[in-house]
Amino acid sequence: MTNPETKQELNKEFNEIKYILTSTMRSRLILTMFESPKELKELRTALNKPSATILHGLKELENKNLIRKFQKEYHLTSNGFLLATNMVKLIENWHSINNDTKFWNSHELEDIPDELLKNMFLLKDAEYIHSTTSDLSNAFNRYVKLICESSELKIILPIYSENHLKHIIELLEKNTLKKLELILSMDILNSIRTNELFEKSLLENEKVKIIPIEKNLKLFLTYSKDFMSLTLFFKDGHYDDSQILIGKTEDACKWALKLINYYEE
Amino acid sequence: MIINQYSLDNDIKFLAKSEIRLKILSELQKKPKSVKELVKITNITYSSISSNLSKLEEHNHITKSKNKYCINPLSEICFKNLMEFKRSIDLINDYNDFWDKHDIEQLSINSIQNITDLKDSTLIETTPLDIYKTHNTIKGHILETQNLKAIFPYLHPEYPQLIENILKREGSVEIVVPKSMSKEIIHGIDGQTRKNASKEGNFRIYAVKNDLRLYLTICDDAMSLGLFKNDNSFDQNRLLISANEKSQKWARNLFETIKQNM
Repeated sequence: MTNPETKQELNKEFNEIKYILTSTMRSRLILTMFESPKELKELRTALNKPSATILHGLKELENKNLIRKFQKEYHLTSNGFLLATNMVKLIENWHSINNDTKFWNSHELEDIPDELLKNMFLLKDAEYIHSTTSDLSNAFNRYVKLICESSELKIILPIYSENHLKHIIELLEKNTLKKLELILSMDILNSIRTNELFEKSLLENEKVKIIPIEKNLKLFLTYSKDFMSLTLFFKDGHYDDSQILIGKTEDACKWALKLINYYEE
Repeated sequence: MIINQYSLDNDIKFLAKSEIRLKILSELQKKPKSVKELVKITNITYSSISSNLSKLEEHNHITKSKNKYCINPLSEICFKNLMEFKRSIDLINDYNDFWDKHDIEQLSINSIQNITDLKDSTLIETTPLDIYKTHNTIKGHILETQNLKAIFPYLHPEYPQLIENILKREGSVEIVVPKSMSKEIIHGIDGQTRKNASKEGNFRIYAVKNDLRLYLTICDDAMSLGLFKNDNSFDQNRLLISANEKSQKWARNLFETIKQNM
């Protein structure tokens, strides 16, 4: 048997989340009231449970100071509202990552700071695209299509790929792309310098702002006002050009911009 | 409506249900470990550890390689989020007297979602021996700051003078106040100082029609937050103060959101 002190310590550490998250009754009551205050009969319908059960759950939450009854309706208290907002965030984060299990589980995530990992709900409507054996460059083609209409881009570029660079230069020359910010490591920067064409049309281009950083990052992120895209590296260090996550919502762009800002600093 | 389509995932429950599993994940998150190491660090029995490890493996949260268990990337994010939720509950409970029976409607959703940024705050409360403790604390900050951003839902008679002092030392002041108060503040500040500062863009005052239900100051080294009670009166006896960078950033975001919404 695990000794009582250890048990007690563990209990103390985790008992609050256990209390809220393991009871379907309590969590659903909170989520239902988060939508709007509810009368008992509405709660009964929403949860499909008899009054006695619901009243029991309500009493518990009332004792915890998470809800209160006002006239005939049950409301969240301020504490309850703070908790519910964060519970919804947890649920949305959870769903957002579990939408694209394969994408997140197969890649190296160490360069995505915690701050961003805690706000994955912003990516909840992002689309996961992968190449197939019949279309090996599906992910790359989607990317090229995506950037060809942007007038402003910010990119964290962790790879030296002539393919990518050529496309970007083409956009700069056609002048569809008017402003470009590249965040890249010294290694990548030096590789680009070895190519005269790239050096001239990219590094010496006045539309391009280069932000060199020390670290070789393991993520390829593109941000524009209308979309964001993310590709990652495998755990073994190889770049994975077969899977891409594309987000077009305001939230997704916000997520990407936060990540860019993090590395700009 | 969004909420009901999301019920609590069974997987969240699976993890939250067992303190032992949570403890194991929190250890594996730091570094891959063997069963033996886990037993040693956690003080939990071998049998509990190993049975929970198999359950975690079954649910695809961890993988065994060369004797050591490591957490899967996806589960690591999930676990971090679970712990973040835990921290938000801790924060609500730690400052219970501050939130309880107070009006939080003007806190933006974004600021509530990031409420753990306030983690290292101090709750300042007045005492019978020091009934001006909250005011004096803020006054102390304002006297020293070069930059002030603030939301003042009420006017303390000392504010105009405090603001004037900042402007005189060529600092910058940006405040959001109720319309009814703005004249009084403006007239309380020396005209020439005010004009010079305004010309330089160092003095901005936003007079808003809506009720302000929140008190916020952001000085160079600290932010402070005050709330109204549910009975509509401002709670002069409590103030949440924090000097750390995260809280300052949190406060600046809230300030900008309120400024824009009003």
